[in-house]
Amino acid sequence: MSMQNNESVPKRLLALGIVALVLFGALGTRMWFLQAVGSRDVEEVIGKVRTRTIKLLPERGRIFDSGGRVMADNKRTLVVTIDRDVVRKPAERLALAQRLSGPLNVPVEVLLVRMQDERYGPFESIPLREDVSEEAALFLMERVEDYPGIFVREEWRRNYPYGALAGHVLGYLGAILKGNLAYYKSVGYDPNERVGQYGVEETYETALRGEPGFVRYEVDAVGNILRLIERVEPIAGNDLQLSIDLKVQQFAEQALETQLLVRRRIEAGQVKLPDGTLDPQYAEVNYYKAPAGSVVVMNHNSGRVVAMASYPRFDIRWFGGGLPKDKFSQLFPQTDDPDLSILVNRAISGRYNVGSSFKPLVAYAALNSGQLPEGAKYTFDDRGTYKLQSIPDDRCQQGVKCVFRNSICRATGAPCRYGAVDVEAALAVSSDTFFYKIGEQILTERGYAPVLENEVRQFGLGSPTNIDLPYEYAGTIPSKELKKRLADIGAISQESGKAYYVGDQVLFSIGQGLLSATPIQMAQAYSAIANGGRLYEPRVAVALLAPGTLDARPGFVDFGTTEVVKRLVSIKPSRRINMTTAIREPIVKGMARVITGPGVNFDYYHKTTGENIFRGYDYAKLPIAGKTGTAQGLNNLPWNDSSAFGAFSLDSSQPYTAFAYLEKAGYGSQAAAPVVKCIFSALAGNYRYDEVLPADPLDKASFDVAPTSSLRNPLCLVGGSSDVRE
Amino acid sequence: MAKFLPKIALPKWMGTSYDLVSVWRNVDVVLLIAVFLQSVIGTLTVYSATRQRLINQGFDQYVYVQRQVLFVIVGAVITFIVMAVGHDWIRERAVFWFISTSLLLVLVLVYGAVTRGARLAFDLGPISLQPAELMKVAVLILIAAYTADAAYDKIDYHQFSVSLLILGFPVLLILLQPDLGSATVVVAGVAGVLLMAGAKRRYIALISGLTIVSAVAVALAGVVDRYQLRRIDAFLNQDSTEKDLQQIVLQVRFAKRAVASGGFFGKGYLQGPLTNGAFIPVQFSDFPFSAIGEQFGMIGGFVVLAIFGVILWRLWMISRLARTRFDQLLISGVFSLMLFQIFQNIGMTLGLTPVSGLPLPFISYGGSHLVSSAMMVGLAQSIYMRRLR
Repeated sequence: MSMQNNESVPKRLLALGIVALVLFGALGTRMWFLQAVGSRDVEEVIGKVRTRTIKLLPERGRIFDSGGRVMADNKRTLVVTIDRDVVRKPAERLALAQRLSGPLNVPVEVLLVRMQDERYGPFESIPLREDVSEEAALFLMERVEDYPGIFVREEWRRNYPYGALAGHVLGYLGAILKGNLAYYKSVGYDPNERVGQYGVEETYETALRGEPGFVRYEVDAVGNILRLIERVEPIAGNDLQLSIDLKVQQFAEQALETQLLVRRRIEAGQVKLPDGTLDPQYAEVNYYKAPAGSVVVMNHNSGRVVAMASYPRFDIRWFGGGLPKDKFSQLFPQTDDPDLSILVNRAISGRYNVGSSFKPLVAYAALNSGQLPEGAKYTFDDRGTYKLQSIPDDRCQQGVKCVFRNSICRATGAPCRYGAVDVEAALAVSSDTFFYKIGEQILTERGYAPVLENEVRQFGLGSPTNIDLPYEYAGTIPSKELKKRLADIGAISQESGKAYYVGDQVLFSIGQGLLSATPIQMAQAYSAIANGGRLYEPRVAVALLAPGTLDARPGFVDFGTTEVVKRLVSIKPSRRINMTTAIREPIVKGMARVITGPGVNFDYYHKTTGENIFRGYDYAKLPIAGKTGTAQGLNNLPWNDSSAFGAFSLDSSQPYTAFAYLEKAGYGSQAAAPVVKCIFSALAGNYRYDEVLPADPLDKASFDVAPTSSLRNPLCLVGGSSDVRE
Repeated sequence: MAKFLPKIALPKWMGTSYDLVSVWRNVDVVLLIAVFLQSVIGTLTVYSATRQRLINQGFDQYVYVQRQVLFVIVGAVITFIVMAVGHDWIRERAVFWFISTSLLLVLVLVYGAVTRGARLAFDLGPISLQPAELMKVAVLILIAAYTADAAYDKIDYHQFSVSLLILGFPVLLILLQPDLGSATVVVAGVAGVLLMAGAKRRYIALISGLTIVSAVAVALAGVVDRYQLRRIDAFLNQDSTEKDLQQIVLQVRFAKRAVASGGFFGKGYLQGPLTNGAFIPVQFSDFPFSAIGEQFGMIGGFVVLAIFGVILWRLWMISRLARTRFDQLLISGVFSLMLFQIFQNIGMTLGLTPVSGLPLPFISYGGSHLVSSAMMVGLAQSIYMRRLR
């Protein structure tokens, strides 16, 4: 049969040919798109897939105190990890978990849970067990065939030899919080890394961490290593030298805690009705609660913080990881009661009324702003009460508070009367009326300009000190804006928030009312008085050191083996305040009289607020000047009084300023002043410091968040106290 | 050239010696060279795709490539045997081939070795034999022979039904293995034959429809392993993260990546990281094109496509120039079958078509498919050689 005469044959063949062309065209186009267009994106993906990169974590920088004591150390641990690929299938997962359970000494169920940990990405290896012994690690590595995808990784575990000592300053490490994840990723962190979450561990996180290195292997689909491509060694983090002297730090913590424990056993004053009988509203006997407190010691010529104690303390090692959630919440209860919160460094976060300890700054404001024409010679006749001059009598009769009193003197049962006092004497006996008057006049005679506010702001109050610790509180300074802001958030009534009254100003001038400051701010401000007007940013860290500082002996490093990479303490002050001798002298003299006396004679001899407590103090050895303060607490009840005391050395070879604040612990002279007195006694060399010893191993069964730390010899706390609530 | 050939006394069925020599003069050299080139490329590809994984497993890295070379030689021998005996001799025994291969298909369902849930092949020790591959050729021969007897362009209902029966029986057996891929290839080949034979469009539509319906029916009946269905699922959801589909999805994804990462010039022979890393399961038999793409890039890919183009072009020409209706129908079938198989295999590498276990003709590792391809090439050559007789 011949076909040449049949016309339709080529047509059908043509159809087949066209189909072929179309299909080949499709293949060709697809290939073009894959190879020419998509090839670049794919290259990167493949790089990841066919190689296996294992991060080599650097050793974190160590932290030393000023004397070279190792406060934060690292321990090398071995971590066994597994590839997600080999445990993807449930059956294989189970089989592997059963085989690994023995060598790792972890129950099968726990391993199964860890193998499915969703926190780790598809190309990340999953840690199965930390702290594996060398033998167990070797056992696994020698049997790679039996344990596919298993890897042993070297890691560093943070170790804090001194436990709770300086815990609030050191801080701790923890998992990256969700809110910070984006930031840490942007600077090259892995989401599962542990980072500093408190204290200097947080502030200097990136410097302490160092640079991770990596090993990159070429692997096949099963994960078998074919060859080593690249190994980049990690760079250890910078070591950190603190200005904290653990000897002084330990002493400060001991003095603070001992004093708080003592104050808890003291009866507070009673509340009496006008007829002299006890107010039945309250219990007959009320002890001070003395729940918390803090003390700061800093070098006022550089801003270096020598000691910074905050009570309650906590053992940093609780944050070492592996603490069950319920145990954690038992140790660190979530509470709305500020008295109970542990994880607050009160030295930098305490929102405190500082009471009369604020008066030196008001005195400065009056002198520096020219409010007192005769300066130091200006006197005011203190008769125990002060009636506001700027408010007409008729308004006073309508109920506006116009009369402000001094504290009650026990001898007379009436507001103390000090007679004619100048700035110096007013500070020495803490005359309120003197400062009421200054406070009122500096406002009313200056056209209601915020002169006092601006003057005290020079000392850094009302703004953060920029200390190198996280969670610093900026403090508040009473002003129209502050009142409006407080009214807006409902902290004070809308009515009260409308304006800034003279009444606000006179409370401000004695450190009460809406003024709030932190102990570190007060220490900074006192330092500026002490050093003649130089304001230094406080620092707890002195310098970043080159990695790998060597030990001189166990627990101590030799700073000679390293070099400073970056100084953290500035030599220059951040601000200079006008502090002429004419201004400074009366203030310093007045504050020195607080310690040494004399007080004033009017009616009878009035001691200064610190005269009694500092009677046994070795002033000749280390002369100091200070000021007491008592902050009124809730409902102005005696047992709610908080105690403040600040002092600075007048000896230029020991340029220290200390500020202590003890919550709900009594008058300034009763609770805080003894602590500061102890500290200066110790700095003067009149106390043999306890040796700074590594803490006992953390008892994980214990429910003490930190062991008690008390003074071996609490005699320095003892001394008569003033009977004036100042 | 003929005069240099020795005059050998040949068996009678081979025709006279003079015939033979004059016939050999008309061999389609282009087709022969194209097939040879493709086999060389295939052998190199098989080596590159198996070397590293054999080393990893501690085997001799040449195991597969040695066998592939052997298969190519066997294929060459078979091609020449088919060319020598001639397609007419084979056509006369069409029914015999068909029945004996069918018998093998039945036997493989019982005695076949199980791989990935399917009984595809007899395990004969050193080699394995896939009867479905032989059936491709046998069906084409029988259908071409059957429809060639019909009046041109007048395939009636009766003939069409018989054709369907001829097709349906082996397809059913192949589906039972189950080997969806081979079944569709056979259908594609037969469709080509029927199209050329002049089946009405609605017959073609019917045959396609029936294929789909029967495939679905078989699938629903649970005869087809779920694995086969997952391939389609994975094709429709190529970015799926579902665990069931992961294996297939990743296989295709890596295949695509391998091709894509080759870029224009490729990574160089034996330099493909994905190929060397054994990321693509059964790359040497199912995804050889990914190895080519990664190592030789777009240039290499287009060369391979071009050689396939040449092979298909020659088949198309042979079909055009065929002396008899049977010849034309048979080669149309071979053309369609090859076209579909090439498209399907490269298509699945590029993510265009679902994954099936189909080998890439002349290139993939494997004896059975090389033998059946060799037979088809032999048939085409035989038809071309004898077109003027």
